[in-house]
Amino acid sequence: MASANPSREQILERIRAGLRVPAAELEDRRFEGQIFEPVQNPLERFQQECKANLMECHLAAGAQETSAKLAQLLRDLPGGEIYVQDEPALRRMMDAVADGRAVRWSTEGAPRETSQATVTLADALIAQTGSVFVSASCGGRGASVVAPCHIVVARVSQLVPDLETALRNATAEQRLEKNSFACIISGSSRTADIEKILVQGAHGPIRLVVLLDLES
Amino acid sequence: MSSAAQQFLRDAAAKSADLVHREIIRKNMESYDAAHLRGRSRFKDWETARRRCQEIKREAINHLDHYLLQFEEKVIAHGGHVFWAANSAEACGYIRDLAVSRGVRTVVKSKSMVTEEIHLAPVLEEQGIKVWETDLGEFIVQLRNEPPYHIVTPAMHLNRQQIRDLFRDKLGEDVADADPQKLVALARRKLREAFFAAEMGISGANFIIADSGAVAISTNEGNGRLSTSLPRIHVAVTGIEKVIPRLVDLATLWPVLATSGTGQPITTYSTLIAGPRKPGEADGPEEFHVVLIDNGRSGLLANAEEREVLHCIRCGACLNICPVYRNIGGHTYNTTYQGPIGSVLTPHLRGSDFQHLSYASSLCGACSSVCPVNINLHHHLLHNRRDFTAAAGSKASGRLQFRLWRIAMVHPRLYAVGGWLMRRGLRLLYGLGLAGSALDPMRAWSRKRAPVPLPRRSFRAQWKKGMALTGAAKE
Repeated sequence: MASANPSREQILERIRAGLRVPAAELEDRRFEGQIFEPVQNPLERFQQECKANLMECHLAAGAQETSAKLAQLLRDLPGGEIYVQDEPALRRMMDAVADGRAVRWSTEGAPRETSQATVTLADALIAQTGSVFVSASCGGRGASVVAPCHIVVARVSQLVPDLETALRNATAEQRLEKNSFACIISGSSRTADIEKILVQGAHGPIRLVVLLDLES
Repeated sequence: MSSAAQQFLRDAAAKSADLVHREIIRKNMESYDAAHLRGRSRFKDWETARRRCQEIKREAINHLDHYLLQFEEKVIAHGGHVFWAANSAEACGYIRDLAVSRGVRTVVKSKSMVTEEIHLAPVLEEQGIKVWETDLGEFIVQLRNEPPYHIVTPAMHLNRQQIRDLFRDKLGEDVADADPQKLVALARRKLREAFFAAEMGISGANFIIADSGAVAISTNEGNGRLSTSLPRIHVAVTGIEKVIPRLVDLATLWPVLATSGTGQPITTYSTLIAGPRKPGEADGPEEFHVVLIDNGRSGLLANAEEREVLHCIRCGACLNICPVYRNIGGHTYNTTYQGPIGSVLTPHLRGSDFQHLSYASSLCGACSSVCPVNINLHHHLLHNRRDFTAAAGSKASGRLQFRLWRIAMVHPRLYAVGGWLMRRGLRLLYGLGLAGSALDPMRAWSRKRAPVPLPRRSFRAQWKKGMALTGAAKE
């Protein structure tokens, strides 16, 4: 395989030559307003947007209630292995709720295709778009896309008002230096490629569930 | 007229008379229009959003060398590889050699218009490599051995019955009631096997981010996620114009792209890939390659007047609103990029054989009015017409027509006599039943349509009368 870049310099030279003639100035300076209405109540907005995104958002008061809700969610799933981000808080929670179900931890490798669900944490939640911000540190890349159900355990303190705040934080925390992957997930996998009819569960999860602990 | 131009006219005439096609496109576009309007209402100020996106892309394109080098440095620091390809052959050659040297037998592709532009799949298939398109729409058109019909919804031209028939013939399973849910489930099952078998995933990029050395990929289905998570090699193929300066720019670009593309507030999976799997990560490819493609773009960059065409974020909004696209459909263009953006871009990328597309427009300006990065598309069609005519020269008959037109325009009485003769002459001709015949100067219109009703008086006479009435009303 050619590792050399024979055309690199030529392309750069053509770009530089092309840019010698500057583009005309933008004339109209009228548009300096606000692009989005500021988010007033992040929790309320997050819940609204989750609903619009066809996600499930369950509120819980404290760790105990979060565990109880997770246990209920897992009980309602079909039998089979679940894949869980290997993290101390999730280890403690799973010890209490696994109920004999096979668990594959993210430190054991990628999720298997037969996984019934994945349980991960998130880096942040975004109110403006009802999104979950995950990165490779949340159990890897496949954790949020391979299984038919993705359960995200999060705390209300992780909620940020908008995309801009989320991306500024990610830049400041060098999240893409520390992780090879990040994703802002706004709902379950879907397609409208057939007659623009919405179908959930195209290639990824049919369900995206957020368990939101309000006491954090 | 080039053979491509003749083909275009033939296909346009056939497609615009295809009633099944018209009905499918009407339904699709009505659904898009409603979603797009709803999506725009979520912005406090849509015009400011467009302006912001225009400024971001303008900054990037006018400092393209700087941002590409910054991107490259970051990708290499993440452990990735960057290959600069001057043209399709170099890009395809790099990816083919990479696949062959790594023993790749199966490739999964997520949707990427630039890989259509460079015709990558046939090059890999020649090596005996199985290439799976994994976006549902792309999968459908791949099974039909067709190019994408639309840059965002590749199979927009098909209804569920046609897709059911296709799946029955090609996949051997009959979805009895052509239920979209079941059709999607069938495709999911087939493609899951491919995802888990593939050694290489190939994606495009909606944006490449200079300050992060990351590739941003927007998908709803999750196929882009699986293609970049499961195989051991990930190759991202992208045009050099996709670069943006900062990660935070996506706070505007992502919602604007999603709104213009499908009416969504944001695409379901807004994914950022910054290199191969790092030590300690649970999964992900061991190798990450970015192929940066010029393929004529730097030539367009040198044209300061049309440089902004490189701002395009490939949302498809100009296709959806275009009255020409809505009637002739995507395949008639016979180009990778269809609709107004394709008509502007293709003559620059593929030469003067596609110059006829500069005329595939009513110049209504709807495309420019919806473009989320404010590209003045219909003006660029005019620029292309002007440049092409200046370079290729004009026909003697055309020059004579314009000379006569000019004389008439600067002599109002002569113009009036011409109008009078035309009204009288056409009335006589139509009275004799010769509308649409070889003698009819309006034949291009009246050959297949009822002739336009002829006015009794000239426009100027009507205008004068109207003005007199307005004046009388004031009194």
